[in-house]
Order: sequence, then C-alpha cells, then structure tokens
Amino acid sequence: MDACAQKHPILILATEDCSYPGANSVGQAHQNYPDNTYIIRTPTPALFPEKFYLDCFDKGVGGIIIMSCGVECPYEGAYPALAKRLDRIYVLMKEKGLDIRRLRLTAICTVCNRAFLKEVNQMNEVIAELGAPGSEAKAA
Amino acid sequence: MSKLNSGQEAPKIGVYVCHCGGNISDHVEIDKVVEQAGGLANVAVARENSFMCSDPGQEMIIEDIEAGKVNRIVVASCAPALHEATFRGAITRAGMNPYLYEHANIREQVSWVHHGPGATDKAAALVAAAVGKAGELEPLEPIRVEAEAHATVIGGGVAGMSAARDLAAQGLNVALVEKSPFLGGQVSQLDKTFPSGEAAGELLSALAAQVLHDDRITVYTCSELAEYSGYVGSFKLKLQRTPPSGQDQERLSRIGDASPGQFLPFVGVWADQPPEASEEVELTSGAVVLATGFEHYTPPQGEYGYGDLAEVITLPELIQIMAGETGGGEQLVVNGKTVNSLALIHCVGSRQIPGIHQPAPGGTLNEHCSRVCCTASLQAACELREKFPETSVFELYRDIRTYGRGQEDYYLNAGRAGVVFARFAPEAPPRIEAGGEDSALTVTVPDQLLAGEELALGVDLVVLAVGMEPRDNQGLVDKMKLPVGADRFLLEVHPKLRPVELPAAGIYLAGTCQAPMDTSEVANAAGAAAAKAGAILSAGQVELDPFVAQIDQAKCVGSGACVEACLSDGAIEMIDTPDGKRAQVNPALCMGCGVCVAVCEQDAIELNGWTLGQYEAMVDAIVAQTAGQGAKA
Repeated sequence: MDACAQKHPILILATEDCSYPGANSVGQAHQNYPDNTYIIRTPTPALFPEKFYLDCFDKGVGGIIIMSCGVECPYEGAYPALAKRLDRIYVLMKEKGLDIRRLRLTAICTVCNRAFLKEVNQMNEVIAELGAPGSEAKAA
Repeated sequence: MSKLNSGQEAPKIGVYVCHCGGNISDHVEIDKVVEQAGGLANVAVARENSFMCSDPGQEMIIEDIEAGKVNRIVVASCAPALHEATFRGAITRAGMNPYLYEHANIREQVSWVHHGPGATDKAAALVAAAVGKAGELEPLEPIRVEAEAHATVIGGGVAGMSAARDLAAQGLNVALVEKSPFLGGQVSQLDKTFPSGEAAGELLSALAAQVLHDDRITVYTCSELAEYSGYVGSFKLKLQRTPPSGQDQERLSRIGDASPGQFLPFVGVWADQPPEASEEVELTSGAVVLATGFEHYTPPQGEYGYGDLAEVITLPELIQIMAGETGGGEQLVVNGKTVNSLALIHCVGSRQIPGIHQPAPGGTLNEHCSRVCCTASLQAACELREKFPETSVFELYRDIRTYGRGQEDYYLNAGRAGVVFARFAPEAPPRIEAGGEDSALTVTVPDQLLAGEELALGVDLVVLAVGMEPRDNQGLVDKMKLPVGADRFLLEVHPKLRPVELPAAGIYLAGTCQAPMDTSEVANAAGAAAAKAGAILSAGQVELDPFVAQIDQAKCVGSGACVEACLSDGAIEMIDTPDGKRAQVNPALCMGCGVCVAVCEQDAIELNGWTLGQYEAMVDAIVAQTAGQGAKA
C-alpha cells in the first residue's frame, strides 16, 4: 500500500445493524485490508451533522466512508435523510477545496465482504492520489 | 445514587486488553498496547489477560471497580456483539453503572485482518479511541415504562394463531385481528402439508380450536387496523370491523350449516358470525405482532400461456383440483378432460432476473427464491404419480432445492415414481403452444441435462409453481411506519441478531410477512415473536435501552427542526415552557436513530450513549495516535 495513504487515517462510519457486523464478517474470513482504517459504530450515520465531516477533514482524516444499511436501513426514512445531507456536505467540501472523493456513501450488508474490501481499497487509492486533506486546494 | 453511578467523579479509566488465546496476541503486541494505553489521559490502570471473558478476566475488572481504582471501563477484545453484554454484566455485578463502558474491537477488526507492526499500532489507536469515548461517558438508566398485559396479533393464519396461542399461554390477554371472516390464511388453500403429509384442515382445526377456546384470546374477524399510536407497553389501536363483501361474502355463502370453529376446505376456519354493521374497537396493547402473511404470485396474461390457454394453471389451482379427485381412475381429469401428461414449471414469479423477466406494473421484480415451491411441486408430482399412475409428469426446473428435514425424500421419491426432470436456463424458458400430436399443448424447452437439446413435450396440462410475494401492506406500513426491505417484505432489525424485531420497540414479525417460509418455519417464527413479546410484557414494566435522544432545554430555542426530522411519530413534541416552545422527547417512542441530532443548529440534542462529543473524542484520539505513529516511523 502507498506509504502516503498510510499516514492519513480513513474513518469508516458503520451502522451497528449492517456494516459493522459486515466488517466483522471480513475479519472472520481473515481477509486483509489496509490498516489505516478505523471503524466506528453508529446506530445510523444520519446522526452526524455536516460540521462533523468537515471537522474530521480539518483534523487530518484522509477519507471517510459511510457504510450504511442503504435501502435496508431499519430506520425508515433515515437513509434518504442521509443522502440529502451528503449532497449538502459535498457542496461545503467543494467550497473548502476538498475533493469530494474523500467522502463516500455506500451500503454494506452483514456479509458484503467483497464490497467492503473494494470500498476500502478504492478510498486508499484516492488518498494516495490526493495526499493530506486540503492539499488539493493548495495544489489548485 | 452512588459515586460509581453518578458520573460526577473525574474519569478513572480501566483498560483491559485480551489475548483471546493467541487470536489477538499472535498478531498484536499486547504489552505495547497496554503500555501505550497506560500513558493515555484519564487511564488509571491498564491490564491484560489471556481471556478477558473468562471468570478471572471479569474478576479483574470487578476487583478494580470495588477497590475504587476505576470508574470507567474499556475492554479491547473480540467483536462487541459477542461480549459487550458480558462485560456490562460484570460491571453491574461490581455495583457500577453498566453504561460507563466502551468496547474496542481488536480481533475481527485488527488481528484477523492485519499483521505486523500495523496491527499493534491500529489496536493501540482503537484502544485510544475507546478511552477517548469512555472519558465522555455518562451513566445511563434503562427506560422503564408501564406495560399493558395485552398483545395484539394482526393476521389470523398459522403465524398469527400460533403467536396468539403462545402469548396467551404466557398469561397475556390477546386480540387476534383478521381481515377476512375466516382463520387459516394461505394454509387453508392447501390439502396436505409437507413433510409430514398432515392434512392442512386438521392442522388448522387443531390450532383454531386452541385459539377460539382460550378465554384470554379475543378474535376480531372482518377487522383491520384503522388507527395506531402509542409505544411499547401502551399501543393505542383502533380496529374497524366491517360486514363482509365481495369475495368474503362468496366464501361465507359456502359455510352452509357449519358451526363456528369448523374448517371448510379451501376457505378456512369459520371463526364466528361477522358483524352486521360497521363498528370500531379500541384496544390498548403492550406489544403488536405482525403476521400478515403473503400472496401467491399471479402470472400476468401470457406468461407461459397463463390466461390465454385454459390448460395452463397454477400449482395452488392444481392442489385444489387434486383434493377434489378421489383417485378412482388411472388418469387425472381436469374440467372433464383426461390428462395423459402434465408439466410442472418451477420458479414462476420467483428468482426473476432484470432484463430477462418482465417487471410487474409497478416496476418490481421478485428476485428472491420463494423456497417452498420446489418441495410443493415435488409433493404434487409424487401425489399425482401415486393417485394417477397413467398420468405422466414432467418437472421443468432451473434449480431444485428441497431444503429441510424430510424434504429431500420428495425429490428421491419423485425420481423413483417416474417423474421426468428437465433443466432450463432462465434465458431459455419453456415455450407453451396450443395443440400437439396427441395432446392439448406442446412444451418446448432446451434441456441443460441433455447439453441443451431441445425437447418437445406433448402435455395436456401445464402447472406453474408460482412463488410467494409480499402482501400489499401499504396501509399498515404507512400507519405504523414499518421498515420494508428491497424485496418488499417487512424488514427485521437484523436477520441473525434480532430476527423477529423491528426498530420500534414492542413490534414483532411472525411468518411470511417477513420472507418466504414453510409452515414449520412460520410456527418457529411465531413462537419466537410471542416469546419476545411475552418476555417484555410479563413483568408489567418494560425496560428499554437508554440509547435515545435527549434534549438540553437550556440550549433548545424551539425551532421544531427536530420534530420535522424525526422518523417516529410523536417521539419528539413541542411543549409550552415559561421560556416558550421547547422540544421534548418521549423516550418510549424514540427509536434512537439520532436523525434529530444532525438537524439541531443549537446542538441541543444528543443521542445518549452515542453523543457527538463522544464521537469527536474518538476521532481526536485516532488522529493523535496515527500522527504519533507516523512521527515514529
């Protein structure tokens, strides 16, 4: 893995009913993935306001993957609310000169091992390309 | 409240790192993780153990608490789903609030997926994050609400009747609500059930007798849910009872001189006299069990000739025809016509593939396997060969799965009885045409078992093994805000961890409203739902997780944004205070999703146990730890 990507942690906001057990399923299968990934449990990522994401990037988080339950979300209406919020966050990220590829919304189920690995690896490639959060604004 | 539970004392965090035999310690240098944890702010003790979940491991925590060394606990071990409850239990036994606890998952998310120094660094960072959160933890108390010793079961099929019976057996009063005048649901449309071969009528009669003769159970036929509000322990339900009309009236005309409780083949168990005029029934229930069942897929006109050719019928139709046949002749006779041979086609309306199968008018496809149709088809094939040995039977299938105890015998017996199997690909399904050399129809199909050679079968009847699809529950879904899966069946919280629960406490799923199941599985699911509901209601008081929204009235300005965003009707309401309108949470109704947290511009709402401050502390710890590791490198 790119050493540059390794320096910038990837935060994974994982729903406790779907994607957090999904990440555990990857572990149960002993499938390796980059170790700059930090998985945080949440009832639903819809609880995080826009500011939380922007603060994370300010603090040095290289990328954030929101691993939701998608349309299988047990909280009816939470996923559409989250998707709408993401649109607003992308606007704010652009205003701050942050590449919006640093924030990705996905749906990972309890056994979505391949999808989990694909998302993590893709985000690492993005961070390897972009470097530290905010560096893309300086480069521009 | 003792100091241990008050949260007022400055955090003294105990960190306990598990080796998990060698599961963790083979890849993570535990001593380094412990050493780093010991240097973190607020950490009073940092220890390790071969198995933290063992009695000595738990005792280590208890001793530190009782000695006053720690007042917050972090355990770094396996996935929280396995032992979070174990450690909370240990903390409770030591007299401390169990919610002053955080878990770091360093097995499934570290040692099983990373190796080398990176694994140790990541474990240390996750422990630091857990310590960060632990420093922000507040003691929480379970939410307790009074519970009505009454449950309402919606749906009067096998699932509903089983659930009602099992709830009543736990001493609860039960309302069993059925839309039609009859009990029995889709099982009443069967002749025999597999794998026992037990007559569906006998099964339903026995079950209905238990329900109808139980004083604790009140059956409301011809009834639908009209209004719904409340929360676990105290749901307010209004039922609308309506005199039967249409199909129900036609079915009622078939009861003749039957008495209540009697089973009528392919109609159901007649429960009681239907209402003569519309009426409303109001109920207060502590829990609700949804057992609304499924519907058979109805092929659109033209699918395999259905609706165009009179000789193309569905499997439920064949079952009804066969039940009326005594088997006196050597061949099956349908509508006065002798059936020399017939073909059963599997996977009709199941396992539909985008681009191959035609979506329903609403654009939906049934991509799921209906699970029961293979065995049901084979059961029919075996019975046909037994009753009518001169009627040839072809089974045309994509795949065959006769899962479950005793069901593979149907496949073996069908083969032994001379049933001929042909396998088709979804993109090359059987084609049905009228007429044949000596038959009513010709079925043409490339048989994958014969390397794709095209078979032309002359048959007199084609039977479509139609799948199960979700019933149209939109009224209930809207009223009760029920989650629906991508397959349109009602969606449980978690298929393995909470398989019969919905996110809203006190509402449970039983049977095929959730997914295709056979009758045995339906009975199991109903038993599980009844046990869950009974467990929370039998104490007279419901204890709920405290992970619900909480409003800081001092920060609230009464904008109402949280009320607008809230996904659960009534969970947040605006109340009048001396300072004006302010938001207030009803903990029993709050689902703990936290959607309200994100929309409050005043940061006046937090989700207990998952506060933004706790998340920020975790992120800060991860960033600090990884920056430190980067500096070392």
